[in-house]
Amino acid sequence: MKKFSLVEFSVDHPKLIVLLAIIISLAFMTQFPKIKTDTNPKNMLPATSAVRVWNDGVEKTFGLYEDMIAVGIVNENGILNKDTLGGIQRITDGILRINGVAARDVSSFTTIDNVTVQDGTLNVAPLMADVPKDQAGVENLRRNLFENPLFLNRIISKDGKTAAIYVPLEKGANGKEIADSIRELVGKEKGGEKFYIAGDPVARDTFGAEMFKLMAVFAPIAGMVMLAVRFFMFRDLFLSVTLMMDAMISIVWSMGLLIGLGFPIHIMSSMAPVFLMAIATDSMHIFNEFYFRYGETKDKRKAIIETMRAVSRPVQNTALATAVGFGVLLFMNIIPVKVFGGLVAFGTVVLRILSFSFIPAMFTFVKEEKIEKIARAQEIRAGGTSRFLRKLAGAGAYHPKTTLVVGLVLFAAALVGLTKIRVNNNLVEWFKTGNEVRIADTVMNRSLGGTSMAYVVATAPEDEYMKTPEAMRHIEGLQRHLEKLPVVGKTTSVVDYVKRINRVLHDDDPKFDAVPETKEMIGQYIFLFSMSAKPSDLDNVVDYPFRRANIWVQLKTWDAQAMRDVIKAMDEYKAAAHESPMRIDLKPAGIAYFNLVWNDEVLWDMVMGFGLALIAVFAILALDFRSVKWALVGYTPLLFTILLIYGVVGYAGKDFDMPISVLSCLSLGMAVDFAIHFVSRLRQRLREMPGESLSDALLWTAERPGKGIIRNAVLFAASFAVMIFAPLTPYITVGAFIVSMMLLSAVMTIVYIPALITLASGSLLEKGRNA
Amino acid sequence: MKQSAMFLLAALLSIVIPARAFAASADEIMKQSQAAFLYGGADFKARVMMKLIDKGGRERVRELSMIRKNFGEPGVNQKYFIYFHQPADVKGMAFLVNKYPRKDDDRWLFIPALNMVRRIAAQDRRSSFVGSDFTYEDISGRDIEDDNHSIVKDERIGAADCHVIKSAPKGTDTDYGHKLSWIDKSTKLPLKEEYYDKRGELFKVFSADEVKNIKGFPTVTKRSIKNLQSGHSSEAAYIKADYGIGVEDGLFAERYLRQPPAKWVE
Repeated sequence: MKKFSLVEFSVDHPKLIVLLAIIISLAFMTQFPKIKTDTNPKNMLPATSAVRVWNDGVEKTFGLYEDMIAVGIVNENGILNKDTLGGIQRITDGILRINGVAARDVSSFTTIDNVTVQDGTLNVAPLMADVPKDQAGVENLRRNLFENPLFLNRIISKDGKTAAIYVPLEKGANGKEIADSIRELVGKEKGGEKFYIAGDPVARDTFGAEMFKLMAVFAPIAGMVMLAVRFFMFRDLFLSVTLMMDAMISIVWSMGLLIGLGFPIHIMSSMAPVFLMAIATDSMHIFNEFYFRYGETKDKRKAIIETMRAVSRPVQNTALATAVGFGVLLFMNIIPVKVFGGLVAFGTVVLRILSFSFIPAMFTFVKEEKIEKIARAQEIRAGGTSRFLRKLAGAGAYHPKTTLVVGLVLFAAALVGLTKIRVNNNLVEWFKTGNEVRIADTVMNRSLGGTSMAYVVATAPEDEYMKTPEAMRHIEGLQRHLEKLPVVGKTTSVVDYVKRINRVLHDDDPKFDAVPETKEMIGQYIFLFSMSAKPSDLDNVVDYPFRRANIWVQLKTWDAQAMRDVIKAMDEYKAAAHESPMRIDLKPAGIAYFNLVWNDEVLWDMVMGFGLALIAVFAILALDFRSVKWALVGYTPLLFTILLIYGVVGYAGKDFDMPISVLSCLSLGMAVDFAIHFVSRLRQRLREMPGESLSDALLWTAERPGKGIIRNAVLFAASFAVMIFAPLTPYITVGAFIVSMMLLSAVMTIVYIPALITLASGSLLEKGRNA
Repeated sequence: MKQSAMFLLAALLSIVIPARAFAASADEIMKQSQAAFLYGGADFKARVMMKLIDKGGRERVRELSMIRKNFGEPGVNQKYFIYFHQPADVKGMAFLVNKYPRKDDDRWLFIPALNMVRRIAAQDRRSSFVGSDFTYEDISGRDIEDDNHSIVKDERIGAADCHVIKSAPKGTDTDYGHKLSWIDKSTKLPLKEEYYDKRGELFKVFSADEVKNIKGFPTVTKRSIKNLQSGHSSEAAYIKADYGIGVEDGLFAERYLRQPPAKWVE
């Protein structure tokens, strides 16, 4: 057998093996400086995905900016005073000078043109050319702001306490540098105003910084925690460090490969180091066994080789199962999930190769007396944990029916919880409550139109149609209909511009705040508007041939449900188009729409991935055990654990988001380890000790390999527990999820496998003995 | 010591004095250029085809007749009558502009769909002319006194020997930080203008693409302006152009906005 030769080779040439591992690691490490992160949520789906192609097309047609920073200015005593307005002027002026800012399209009090009418004269001028010199000037500005629906809830809040500056960025501009420059500008303001800087580029960069924090701070802490826990378990620094090195090597290899291949680090792959560290704990079984074997043989080389022989199959198969659990992710549609799956699957394979080479090699460096000491300590300290495990397994083995009934009750409760699960990815809520990004978003959403942007694109069958009163009335009706939704803060379309001009031309008579009667009027009003605004203002809402119109819908939440509501309302409106059937087609677009599509994709991926993982893991179990029945026995506690946890997720009302859905596949692949170890070792025991009773064999398994299982679970949990303190909620979720899953599935394995085996002993054991 | 101080003074003077002399002549060049570019003849008429082209190459068309008459010396009062033929739905829209130096223009607009004339007080002379990349100032000129002009260098554009003049606005109400103009030494026409934004980056380029001699007046008959940042550009070509056509003063009145005499807008 190949593996055996690898183990023997490693034991005979330990220095060579360690040297090789170090050289390869150094080679992979040379790739690290090339590291890039990708925190753009758009890249969750491939650039060729239908929704991205469509959104890109919409952005191009209407000349929309991909990136926009919003600066919120809040003064509790009101914005409209000379000092605050002076601040706005200074900040705007500074912003216009920042490199990468699309200065021509910055929207602020001083850069927006306003059309007003006074004594029959149309006045086209910047809303605020200069800070008003007296109270009358301030009042005049107040009137101009509040009477114009285009400004209200966009650059000024209804209560007059919040103003906003919108800063579009040129393609390829560095959002972080620009946001930092803006922070510097607002930092110079010494008045009583508060400033908030929001927008995708800011969120992305903050996200990227937190991601680095996870990799550079939390992953090492997790590693130290594992080192400490391991040391506590074995009282042997050398071997604890060996396992640590084992994990480090696999992390370096897989991250090096990822970076070397040119992949950027996404949120999911930033978690890979912690996952690999946790997966590395599977080697625990090797250590566990080694100490027992050494206690028996007192010959290091023999103990190593025997250990490897005993654990090789379960270790290989658990590695296979883990790799498959992650490998399944490769079939998903979400790119970061795919990359993550491939990354960890690769790391797992590396870990297993190391288990059969690097670890045995390292064993040879430990002094025999030391091993003996530890092995003795193992026996003595075995007491507490082993007694507990015996009791757990005893509950299953001696009271299988009661155990099963309790299980069924929990199962039913979990099913109820499952129905309460809400699939949602709210990217802003991925930041913790106190995070700057989240606070800015909350403030802006409370007082202005809404930070999550959706578009409804109306397409007519022929050019010039958007200038017809009919088209205008449909769009206006749709806007009013959408605005009834509580999640919609503001809508804007070409109709608003036309109505504004109509009213101004009619001496500000509110009666004319309406769609004009003829196409000529509309055409001429639009022409007039184009003389009094930035060219982009019109381009943003209608295309060149006036065949398409773009309706801006600002949402007050990033929840996927909000966009679902908008689409539903849009379809309702279309279906109910009263007088004449609508000749325009409506289609959603924008980042909010992307989020919805992506969200559904996550759900679909999850269902598909979970199904695939279920089948794959079952197949591995069945192959490993050479028996479907044994596979079923091993499988049940696992499924049960996952159901229970998802039930709790449902009850807790926690959003079922991308990381959780990814975990559903992974957890199968990881928790199945426990079942594999338990069942293989039990059956081995039954073969080796034909005279022993089933319950004694079960208790022995719970005690000895069971201890490895529990240690494995505790170590696993310990490393992920660190993530509970991480700065981004997905990390926290993943941490909490894995901690509970590992501990629960270990306990479930030790309780339910004995119960199931006892109940089904008749049919199982025959097969078991033949195998 | 004393000697070196004298030397320094001499060196300083040699820098200051020619610079001052140049400043005066830069103003003079710009004045001559404006006269040649925007005040040629006593009056002028052109049929203009304007194309607005976006980054993706899509076009919007504006077709208009422009009649201009000088009142007094070049650089002084001037009146414009602009009548739109295209796009179809704005046919008949008409503009009247009374241009005064050192003062905001008076503008009137006729909106045929409402049969209404409205006075427009436009303080923003840097805003877009009918949605194009040309500003009102590009059409009717900017006051020489609004900028500090200086000669940067001489340079050839094609066969034309040009002064390159730097103009820096005295105020802050412009969308650019400074402008470089290439003024043809013989015709005085601006052959190229580069606009630099307040960060010092080039963002807009004007170019005179075709110059023709019409009744002895060198005239820019094709021009274009490209915004390098937005990728948007605009072209204007004179389909017909003529000088000294005898425009009556009376044309520049509200009633003709409503019903322009056919001979001027055919």
